[in-house]
Amino acid sequence: MRLLLVGISHRTAPIEVRERVDFQARGVELALRTLASRKPGGTGGEIAVLSTCNRAELYMACDDVATAKSELVSFVSAFHDVDATAIEPHVYDVTDLEAARHLFRVAAGLDSLVVGEPQILGQVKEAHNAARQAETAGPLLNRLFHSCFAVGKRVRTETNLGSGAVSVSYAAVGLARKIFGDLEGRSIVVLGAGEMGKLTAQHMKSQGVRQVTIVSRTIAHAARTAEAIGGATAARWEDMDAALATSDIVITATGAAMPILTKARIESVMRPRRGRPLFIIDIAVPRDVEAAAGEIEQVFLYNIDDLQASVRENLARRASEVVRADAIVDEELEKFATWLRSRGVIPTVVALRQSFESIRRAEVDRLDFKLSGLPPEARDEARARVDEITHLLVEKLLLTPTEQLKGLADPETATMYAEAVTRLFGLSEPPASDKEPETRADNRVEPFTRNRRPGPSGRQR
Amino acid sequence: MNLVPFALYAAAFVAYAWHFARRTPALGRTATTALAAAALSHTFIIGMRTMEVGQVPVFDATSAISMFVWLLAVAYLYTEVTTDERAMGVFILTLILALQAIPAFKTDVEVRSSVLRGPLFGVHVSSLLFAYASFALAFVIGITYVLLFKEIKTKHLGVFFARLPSLQVLDQMNQRAIVVGWVFLTIGLVAGVVFAEQTQAPAMSLQDPKIFVALICWVVYSFELFAARRIGWAGRRTAYLSALGFAIVLLNFVPISYFLTSSHKF
Repeated sequence: MRLLLVGISHRTAPIEVRERVDFQARGVELALRTLASRKPGGTGGEIAVLSTCNRAELYMACDDVATAKSELVSFVSAFHDVDATAIEPHVYDVTDLEAARHLFRVAAGLDSLVVGEPQILGQVKEAHNAARQAETAGPLLNRLFHSCFAVGKRVRTETNLGSGAVSVSYAAVGLARKIFGDLEGRSIVVLGAGEMGKLTAQHMKSQGVRQVTIVSRTIAHAARTAEAIGGATAARWEDMDAALATSDIVITATGAAMPILTKARIESVMRPRRGRPLFIIDIAVPRDVEAAAGEIEQVFLYNIDDLQASVRENLARRASEVVRADAIVDEELEKFATWLRSRGVIPTVVALRQSFESIRRAEVDRLDFKLSGLPPEARDEARARVDEITHLLVEKLLLTPTEQLKGLADPETATMYAEAVTRLFGLSEPPASDKEPETRADNRVEPFTRNRRPGPSGRQR
Repeated sequence: MNLVPFALYAAAFVAYAWHFARRTPALGRTATTALAAAALSHTFIIGMRTMEVGQVPVFDATSAISMFVWLLAVAYLYTEVTTDERAMGVFILTLILALQAIPAFKTDVEVRSSVLRGPLFGVHVSSLLFAYASFALAFVIGITYVLLFKEIKTKHLGVFFARLPSLQVLDQMNQRAIVVGWVFLTIGLVAGVVFAEQTQAPAMSLQDPKIFVALICWVVYSFELFAARRIGWAGRRTAYLSALGFAIVLLNFVPISYFLTSSHKF
């Protein structure tokens, strides 16, 4: 079994291509069903579909990676009714440990458009759940996904990859929270009835702000914006100072050419507030608030550049955490690789056990002939005893070699041992899948026993 | 004997510092557990000493400091459990370690005066120690407030922005700690005056630096409460005042107790 990843993401394809292969739109479940019936890469394959707005990835465990790859691409083009040549240049494919590394990095948020964004881990979990429900996930994919959840969790708790706001409006809300704690019950004044002010006010309102007051030179504009926000009130330009005096957060977004809020004006507003802090967010260009106003005690003044600088700082901090997150990916990948290698010797182990079992069964069957002289009850009991003892004997003899084989960490040594075991015990070709040795064992043993079996029973009569 | 809690406090300090740097939940739990273990062993030692002398051991400066540290540790543990904020632990434990070093390494036991007993004396000392522990908390919270305030004001959002609770919460915690401290300081001072009257102890006057400085303390904290309520001083100013107040408390507590005072050799 090998691991194969075929996908398209924001790194390789523009939005025009990504939106055409969005599995969420057409149903991940349907995709999994269709794929399961097509059996790309041979029987016994496992498959999972990870689909977000930034990526569409198919994870497969199969034997024939090369065939599977081309079949997956043709499946994607057929499923989404897109010309294969339109998507092929954007498709990437990786196999085995590199495929695992890719999923680990995706789950950690390292491959996201905004590095460290938290939603991706949930989306990866959904992908695994969908595969489990469609019964297309087997031992290999289950293990792969569980490992990647561990990576996501560790990166979240052990690094600062997801910390700090990375958009201007989140940065503003984050600052407001650091100043006021809870935003619930706070009141906010917006100067200007324009779109920018409206959007910021809406964002604040969604964070639990109690009262929003829109102040505009034209009261009709203010009223219209207040209505659009919902639950907001409009105030006249002349009443601005009164509104400021009772507010906690002020957003200024007017088109004025000169500063509206001078230092002196804010000082006079601050006096009756008795040291209550005022957070002013100036998103207007040119600025609405005199820079010197930020010197007033208990006034926190941020303009659009300050917020953007904070966003840039956070992005830079996240970038510096990437190395630490990648180290965690490497650690977990090593664990996964060890597990994968221990699976590499499993066909040999299975063949070895089946070979022993077939020898045991042949000998037990041969014994039947010798036991045929005994009375029926005694014969049954003797046969049961012999069966039990030989079974135990085989189990005990194979216990240590099995453990030793599974415990081999180094892949070269493992291959060497597997070959040695195959030759020593005459297992010939190690079977590729779990089902083959049974048929071969049947071929080798059954004719022998079938030839013998009628004999004793016939002679007994 | 006092070395055991000292070592555990040191371990807790390391854990809190590490947690402050790395912010993993497991380290936070380890830090709290270490501090709880330290406080528990400290409780045991104070309890043993109480049984030994038949009274809460607060009659010499060294044991009073030990008692103070214990109160501070318990008060901090209480705030941590109720607010689930661990960022201040590293600051509190710095203070705890510095003070606990005195009882941990100063072994000579001072002879206690026969005058210093009775319920009123107990009220006097324990109220004052509790007040000092509250002021210590207020001081540490005040420091963190100023650090966070500076980060937001100067627009360099960094270490404290990511770790500390909001300014509003810090300000409230600071105010609450000062109110509690002020109430107990007042009770302790009144009890001290009444006790001095009853026992007619000598040299209990304003000329004793310890009494004088304690009164200055009371004035500073009274002003802070007045300023916060009436003048509208908030945030940074009250934080600075609580730092000043605690500096005076420390001055009174350590150097004056050991070197200067005539009547308060405990």
